[in-house]
Amino acid sequence: MNEIVKLNRRKFLISSAALGGAMVIGTKAMAASVDSQPWDKANASGSAEFTPWLTINADGSVVVRVTAVDIGQGTLTQVAGYVYEELSPAWDMIKPEYASTNRDFLENNVYSTPGGALAYFSGRSTGPARMDTYLQVAASARERLKAAAAAKWGVDAGEITVKDGVISHAGSSNSAQMGELIAEAAEIELEAEPAIKDQSEWTFLGKKAPAKVQLPKIVNGTLTYGIDVRPEGMVYAAIRQSPVMGGKLVSYDEAAIKDMPGVLAVVTVDPGENVPTDLTPPFPFGVSTAQHAVAVIAEHYWQARTALDALPIVWDDGPGAQWKTTEQMNEAAMAAVQQTGAKIETSVGDFEAVFADADDADMIEADYLTPYCEQAPLEPLNGTCLVTPDRVDFWHPSQHSQMAYMVAADETGVAPENVFFHQTFVGGGFGRRVFSDDARMVVAVAKKYPGKPVQVIWSREEATRQGRYRPLMAAKLKASLGADGMPTALLGRMSGGPGFFVSGMPDTALTGIMKNVQIESQTVPFHILTGPYRGPGYNSNAFFVETFIDECAVKAGIDPMEYRIKLYGQWPDVGWVKCLEEVKAKSGWGETLPKGQGRGVAIGNWGMGGKPDEGTTVATVAKVEVSQDGELKILQLDVAFDTGRIVNEDAVRTELEGGTMFGLNMSVNEGLNIEDGRIVEGNFDEYPMIRMADLPTQINVHFGGLTNAPRFFEIGEPPTGVVGPAVGNAIFQATGKRIRSTPFRLHDLSWS
Amino acid sequence: MAVSLSINGEIKEVDADPQTPLLWVLRDHLNMTGTKFGCGIAQCGACTVHVDGAAVRSCQYPLEAAVGSEIKTIEGLSPDSSHPLQKYWVEMNVPQCGYCQSGMLMAAAALLEEIPEPTDEDIEAYVDNICRCGTYTRVRAAIHKAAADMKA
Repeated sequence: MNEIVKLNRRKFLISSAALGGAMVIGTKAMAASVDSQPWDKANASGSAEFTPWLTINADGSVVVRVTAVDIGQGTLTQVAGYVYEELSPAWDMIKPEYASTNRDFLENNVYSTPGGALAYFSGRSTGPARMDTYLQVAASARERLKAAAAAKWGVDAGEITVKDGVISHAGSSNSAQMGELIAEAAEIELEAEPAIKDQSEWTFLGKKAPAKVQLPKIVNGTLTYGIDVRPEGMVYAAIRQSPVMGGKLVSYDEAAIKDMPGVLAVVTVDPGENVPTDLTPPFPFGVSTAQHAVAVIAEHYWQARTALDALPIVWDDGPGAQWKTTEQMNEAAMAAVQQTGAKIETSVGDFEAVFADADDADMIEADYLTPYCEQAPLEPLNGTCLVTPDRVDFWHPSQHSQMAYMVAADETGVAPENVFFHQTFVGGGFGRRVFSDDARMVVAVAKKYPGKPVQVIWSREEATRQGRYRPLMAAKLKASLGADGMPTALLGRMSGGPGFFVSGMPDTALTGIMKNVQIESQTVPFHILTGPYRGPGYNSNAFFVETFIDECAVKAGIDPMEYRIKLYGQWPDVGWVKCLEEVKAKSGWGETLPKGQGRGVAIGNWGMGGKPDEGTTVATVAKVEVSQDGELKILQLDVAFDTGRIVNEDAVRTELEGGTMFGLNMSVNEGLNIEDGRIVEGNFDEYPMIRMADLPTQINVHFGGLTNAPRFFEIGEPPTGVVGPAVGNAIFQATGKRIRSTPFRLHDLSWS
Repeated sequence: MAVSLSINGEIKEVDADPQTPLLWVLRDHLNMTGTKFGCGIAQCGACTVHVDGAAVRSCQYPLEAAVGSEIKTIEGLSPDSSHPLQKYWVEMNVPQCGYCQSGMLMAAAALLEEIPEPTDEDIEAYVDNICRCGTYTRVRAAIHKAAADMKA
């Protein structure tokens, strides 16, 4: 809240132009209020900017500036909801726009006060700090409007109401539209900023579930994604990076293609050709390092693509080529967990002493493996950039606009105040567009063809083979079981390539419960680049941990659901058992199934960081059928969750549905192969995706796991980790086959 | 070589190689960006348009084959987003990132033209587009709703 008070000390800005502009109020409830291109909008003439976050226009429309990128999870709608709750304009008069990273730089981090509510131009839209900021901004504007009306009408401000854009005083029958009072309101100085409503007084948040504001523009094809921008004079580029990551360009034969239709130029990208800036990026610039590449620039994309395919290129593969096969890498990762890891992530008690005291018959141990996976957002990587000596304009479907903005400055050497980043809509993120390596490649190509906007588009094959993947990870889990079958000590080891994420094992409820536990990690020197992928670390570790718990339950002879209820009943966060009880009750758990069918359960938490009452807990029950010849069919999925509280029920439901399908695809289908250091799979014919026919008619999302604890945690990533182990555990129930690696489609599931 | 195309009831002149996929003709030459590039090999369906009423994947449909046909894109599905599919897509909060949804809608619209009361199996067969966000169950439900409306 402190940040807000400071912000409201800013003198309110009124544009010098005369007040004007027609009053336009939409007639359709829940109609789109977002523009197809909600970026770079100057304040309208006659508007009042109450803070950098909120401007009210003379027509009564309310512009709210959003930092967290909307990648389909609905951040624009969520922020519109905050404004509606406290300010109450007409719903369709709320205009969410993207906050300008350039302005953030120029105005001393107005949107990203270090350590403040909006430090992060990405991620958790519902973070309480960010939510409170918007609620405060809206409440402060409302009180100024009321004070302005009170002064004008000579009535008590406390008797004035604001509802759906109309300011009114019942006693005197005075009323005004919001836009009519903004000039006066902006002059008001309050003695103190109003308190925001207590959550129990909310009438919109948590009560209404508006559809996303951009949907009307999606369904008629007018929403502008990165690949859809068309600045004047734009040309297109097709790009190819070294097929082996870390490899170098040796030569290419430009003469072979220079006369092909439309070809304008062939340019190269080298790491280290950037002009470093002294900006401090949200992630170290190292995660965005350029890769050696060739790009063909042409008048049209198809011409560029055709010419690139015809261009003879010689690469020096470099050391990555030593990894000849997937199996070689899997073995290296698996070998790494057969000995003590170089890093001890957490260690409590003395697991070795407990293991030494245990009978061999009470010991259980298993090794697990998950492969590289590609985020595969459906909008292929792309970006459009115009570089001139003293200015950069960059249109890009980023997941982190501040990172991409700084990367553009760092690549070109153009002063940050002259770099203009234009955040477009995003055709799927899933973590792929956070590190901004794609942004850097676009800028690096465009700066070689200055003076023209260049739209760089990766082919699907190129995007798949030049990823920042979910890391390949191996794990060993080992436990001793007590007389009651419950674990008494635990050893966990993880291995993966450089930069792999450990979250989801040292910081789980299981590790927290154990009195004797050690979790270790070991880095294996793979050359394949990795990055965030929906639920980093957790998406593999939840599979390891929850498959292992299932194996413990089976060894103990206890129903896997009851085993978990007993185990996680020891964890102080009651949401865990609440979620389990919810899916137990709703999924038909325990009902007899025909041969070849099985139910499995798994539970996990994304974001808890080792602490109770943090993060989002999700429990999933999968019901599957495995035919005798091994064909897997998902019959039913039941999901319960605990985020604490929720703001938009349907937004939460869609994320749980989507995250569950994402995790299902990850576990059943996904896995990249390596051959001579290169990624083998290129397109969806080789890297299969779940389609409608592969799914049950519905995914049952249940709300009975919510504890109403005072937090609103994120929901996009948490479902991803648990559906895989739930399905794997169901396969075991159906077939007796224990699956310890993904993707499941590579396993022989046949039974007799 | 300049040719004429009939798109959403309008005649458009295009000067492009006859082998250029219709997808890129629409997007680059005509700036009709509602039709999306997803895979380029007719796998994902993001580029689905109607050619003489049939859903086709425009990334694998050469310009020369489209000459003389009636092409309909997402921009022409209805003049004012009033197609029942568009209506329910919004009402039921179907899209997430939305990138695949032009193709989903065009595939679904072609299905309803041919099979006004589709079963789940019909929908699965006709609308096998890829949605990475996982909107499938809502797509299916919205098609059923739209079909019921159109019948009424």
